[in-house]
Amino acid sequence: MSDVPLIYTSKGNLPEASLRFEPVWEDNPDFTKFVARYWLDDEVVKESAFVLSKRGVDSSAIAQSFI
Amino acid sequence: MANTFGISGVAKQAAMSAILDAKALKAALYLVSGTTGPTNATYTATGELAATGNYVAGGATVTNANTAGLTTTTAYWSPSASIVYPANMTSSAAFDMVMIYSTTDANRNIGCYNLGSQTITAGLLTLTMPTNDASTGVVRFA
Repeated sequence: MSDVPLIYTSKGNLPEASLRFEPVWEDNPDFTKFVARYWLDDEVVKESAFVLSKRGVDSSAIAQSFI
Repeated sequence: MANTFGISGVAKQAAMSAILDAKALKAALYLVSGTTGPTNATYTATGELAATGNYVAGGATVTNANTAGLTTTTAYWSPSASIVYPANMTSSAAFDMVMIYSTTDANRNIGCYNLGSQTITAGLLTLTMPTNDASTGVVRFA
């Protein structure tokens, strides 16, 4: 008996070989995002996202002049 | 050497400490179609991702072992670990924002952050934090 790798999807556990894997990268000043997308024919059945935040947000504290 | 003007660094750090140090925080996801943002004083369920597909209303817990830091005159803080949403999550629709808010302080809105439009299908969503310093901290008072 040979083990067939299965991946959990919206259609249940499916053989990895039956799916098409689409890696997507998005990079901008706020974040870098890696999306791991699996297609079964023309339907996305699994999609995960891993976001690396590059920076938060800042707020300026303004000191008013007395004059 | 001349005098310099501005709000002191320690005052900014104290203000930041008051809203973040040792607070219980959560991170809620908001739909692309939503209108939530920094003007919201508190967490709102309006425009939040629906509580389906393993997403829990109110979002994920934020690990908060850091305290407000200070470099020169910039106070900063970041969560001390990645924010991880429940396994095998399926989003009800596309989302593009996460709000970090304090459940310790009546759900005070700390900040709203861009994630880019995203859906999750039977998958994972992990938000990894930037370096916790005065240049990239998640919250900075400069």
